[in-house]
Amino acid sequence: MAEGYRGMKKQRFVLLKKDPALFSTLVIIWVLFGIFIFLPVFRLLLAAFVVDGKPSFANLAAVMKTSYNIRALYGSLLLATTVGISGTVLGYIFALAVTRTTLPRWGKNILSAITILPLISPPFTSSISLTLALGPNGMLLQLFGIENFTIYGFWGTWLSETLTYFPIAFMVIEAILNTMSANLDDAALSLGSTKWRLFRTVTVPLSLPGIANSFLLVFGASLADFATPLILGGHSFPVLPTEAYLLITGLFDLKGGASLSFLLLVPALIVFLMQRLVLGRKSFVSVTGKSGARTVFSGLPVSLSVIIGIVCTIVSAFVIYLYAIILWGSFVKVWSVNNTFTWEHYAYVFQHGKKAILDTLAIALVSTVLGSILGIVIGYVTQRKTFPGKRFFEFGSLLNYALPGTVVGIAYIIAFNQRPLLLTGTMTILVAAYVFRYYATGIRAVSASLEQIDPALEEASLSLGAGSVRTFTHVTIPLIMPAVLSGTRYLFIHCMTAISATIFLVSVHWTLLTTRILESMTELQFSQASAFSIVLILIVFAGDAIMRGLIKLSSMKFHQSVREVAHHE
Amino acid sequence: MSSEFALELSDVTKIFAKDRGEFRAVDNVNLQVRQGEMVVFLGPSGCGKTTTLRMVAGFETPSSGAIRIQGKDMTTVPVNKRGIGFVFQNYALFPHMSVFKNVSYGLKARGEGVEAIRNKVSAALELVGLSGSGDKFPNQLSGGEQQRVALARVIVMEPSLLLMDEPLSNLDAKLRLHMRTEIRKLQKHLGITCMYVTHDQAEALTMADRIVVMNRGKVEQVGTPFDLYNAPRSLFVADFIGQANIVKLPVVAVDDVNVTAAIPEGGTLTARCAVSDGECTPLRKGDVAALIVRPESVGVEFADRAEKGIRAVVISAIFGGSDVEYQVRLADGSMVKASVPYRNGMDICREGSRVSLVIEAANCVFLPVT
Ligand SMILES: Nc1ncnc2c1ncn2[C@@H]1O[C@H](COP(=O)(O)OP(=O)(O)OP(=O)(O)O)[C@@H](O)[C@H]1O
Ligand SMILES: [Mg+2]
Repeated sequence: MAEGYRGMKKQRFVLLKKDPALFSTLVIIWVLFGIFIFLPVFRLLLAAFVVDGKPSFANLAAVMKTSYNIRALYGSLLLATTVGISGTVLGYIFALAVTRTTLPRWGKNILSAITILPLISPPFTSSISLTLALGPNGMLLQLFGIENFTIYGFWGTWLSETLTYFPIAFMVIEAILNTMSANLDDAALSLGSTKWRLFRTVTVPLSLPGIANSFLLVFGASLADFATPLILGGHSFPVLPTEAYLLITGLFDLKGGASLSFLLLVPALIVFLMQRLVLGRKSFVSVTGKSGARTVFSGLPVSLSVIIGIVCTIVSAFVIYLYAIILWGSFVKVWSVNNTFTWEHYAYVFQHGKKAILDTLAIALVSTVLGSILGIVIGYVTQRKTFPGKRFFEFGSLLNYALPGTVVGIAYIIAFNQRPLLLTGTMTILVAAYVFRYYATGIRAVSASLEQIDPALEEASLSLGAGSVRTFTHVTIPLIMPAVLSGTRYLFIHCMTAISATIFLVSVHWTLLTTRILESMTELQFSQASAFSIVLILIVFAGDAIMRGLIKLSSMKFHQSVREVAHHE
Repeated sequence: MSSEFALELSDVTKIFAKDRGEFRAVDNVNLQVRQGEMVVFLGPSGCGKTTTLRMVAGFETPSSGAIRIQGKDMTTVPVNKRGIGFVFQNYALFPHMSVFKNVSYGLKARGEGVEAIRNKVSAALELVGLSGSGDKFPNQLSGGEQQRVALARVIVMEPSLLLMDEPLSNLDAKLRLHMRTEIRKLQKHLGITCMYVTHDQAEALTMADRIVVMNRGKVEQVGTPFDLYNAPRSLFVADFIGQANIVKLPVVAVDDVNVTAAIPEGGTLTARCAVSDGECTPLRKGDVAALIVRPESVGVEFADRAEKGIRAVVISAIFGGSDVEYQVRLADGSMVKASVPYRNGMDICREGSRVSLVIEAANCVFLPVT
């Protein structure tokens, strides 16, 4: 025991002496984690489980006594499971269309674009347009003369979330379908297999890790989603995030909100850990792709191709229709009542919404810069360095990302509403909420890219007398620049569009476009909400285009040489 | 303070954590390297060569033991403060920098002036024969050229110790032979102390002042190529360096340095005991000893022409130009390799011939069977 303790102390001492830069970096990051990750979660648990200074389940019991809350728990799990399944199926169909069919180039580009739209839109875009189409006085309802139909409830929420989150599944599955070796197709067919049999016995089994991973990701996203059920769930279909939100903003019941958050936190953490397990087992696909020339995938059985074609066409048309309807909605006086053309909603957005636009931009830019820097440092440290407590460090860094935004938001207001950490109402709290949630994509991009870069390059720099800081800035950063920028890109998109955590943190001093959209929706100002959404989408689109330009530039400059060296070996 | 040794390892051990337990990658290694000496680490894959080298470089910290460079304790000093040069197996050239930038990288980090840097870099590039290539990028160079840049990048720093980890293993066979002599020439020319890792025994024999043979984390033997070849102190070394026949024979007599053993066909054979240091302790009369016989110390004659020798049957005979390689089987079934120099008009003993083997005892040694 004593021996082990001495050993650990010695290890820390060696780290301090051997790599003082790493040591001080770790100290700073641990402090930041302590304040912005562990403290809020800790305070949340305290609020949920401590009554009058004693540990107690009373709060939880009180929450569980309300049958409405039990329904919310059940609703959350049901919704997440069904959306996980439908999102994965739809993602798989789109991925098959893009990777395995003879669809012409432009057709595949359209499909890819369709899947990118929901990713760069605010999370309730599809709920708004579904409301416009199928809600009260909905366009489609009028068109077909349907009465007594309500979009509010489980089915509307399910449909909207499926359309919003299937792109996640698409990206995961497309990647895995692309890494499979086409030689396997050839081998199976040459052994006398039919295309159906090939699909069932080779393609599907090999994509199982991707399917599992995508189900978990979509499940988690749906579980955490707050905006869609708030707009479409209605009273008949409560889920945990919206209930927690209503408890806190409507009844100022922090303890109840904390207890509901805990109910949400448990499945979210389970999913997060399961996902790490799935990813931890090395995908067996990459092993096979090695030898031989890259041939063309043999394609799908005709019947399956037809089904895929029909599904993709319908879904794509529907998504395009939903975006068109928002655009249209932003230009009419009163949706479905007075359809005359007007600019007045945009005038409103740029007058009364100007503060929200500027605030959102400022917060997004600051968060993007800080989050990128932190993402680089953490990705680097976890991929390249060994130090005591590294496992926990990694887990901690991703905790806020793994937790549903609602939970993080509630934890933040509980933790930061009193001295000495009185941050509610400041920009800091919004930036912190974004940074420590969405730098995760940056961390992943950086460590994935570092995995490809031989550590010998950094060791060479060290052995030539450069310190670890110079090595980092002169060798590592230039080599991982393209990955950094692609992480930055998603960070910016998230910071512009996310709402679930920050809805709790906005104030009169700092407000966000997304909250303005939500306000317009709850006031039934659909056209205003549409105009806000369009402006937001355009800003994100412009920012994204700039980022993509930068990525292209940087990868032209650096990646080419890196790739060619790899090729050389 | 300068010491008589450029590098000293004392009881250096490296333990890696392995799932439930530990693994001694390097086990109690002791070594002293003189100034200007070229020491080659040789051993099978996974024996701990790279780990040892990386501890000397400072990429890894020993679990216990001490490393002194030029007399100074460097055990926990960071890499960039050790003044060593490291040449990597895959060169590790910075892909985003030109050759000039690569070579000047360390000088810049050290804060040298622009003029000094330019002079030193061009001198180094000239030394490795790449004067005109400063503006090229690594991906525009061949493997051999990249290797030279990696060398230039290191020697421009004038390190007190040059460490190389299988620097030639990525080159094709011909270039490898050429670079062997290049590196050795350069090392002698600069008088730089060098620690070189390889698993290629021919490379080790041709390049080294001394060879360190490692096996399972331990040093098996340290010595000149000549010593290791002619007086291996363990069966592992005998087998690993060059080719060796290991013939087990019963000991009939032992003196200070020599062992006499009985030959199956009758008669005896006397040779040195390699582990002897004056008194041949490990072997006793009645033990079974292993006789280490290099193929070139075995003579092969037709049985009917020879008067004495060990009876055997030829299993295969391969004509290799300058010599003939025989595989023969002894009466007890064990196989022996023989390499006989070929002279014009000589008869080659064909497959199935009965032959008699003549062993030059002076070139053989006895080892205990372990
Ligand atoms: N960082 C590490 N963690 C755990 N085990 C390691 C580590 N580095 C090396 N080892 C183990 O230590 C042993 C020695 O490795 P080392 O790289 O020194 O061998 P080597 O002699 O250089 O072999 P090769 O000729 O294959 O390069 C190996 O079994 C290896 O698996
Ligand atoms: Mg090695």
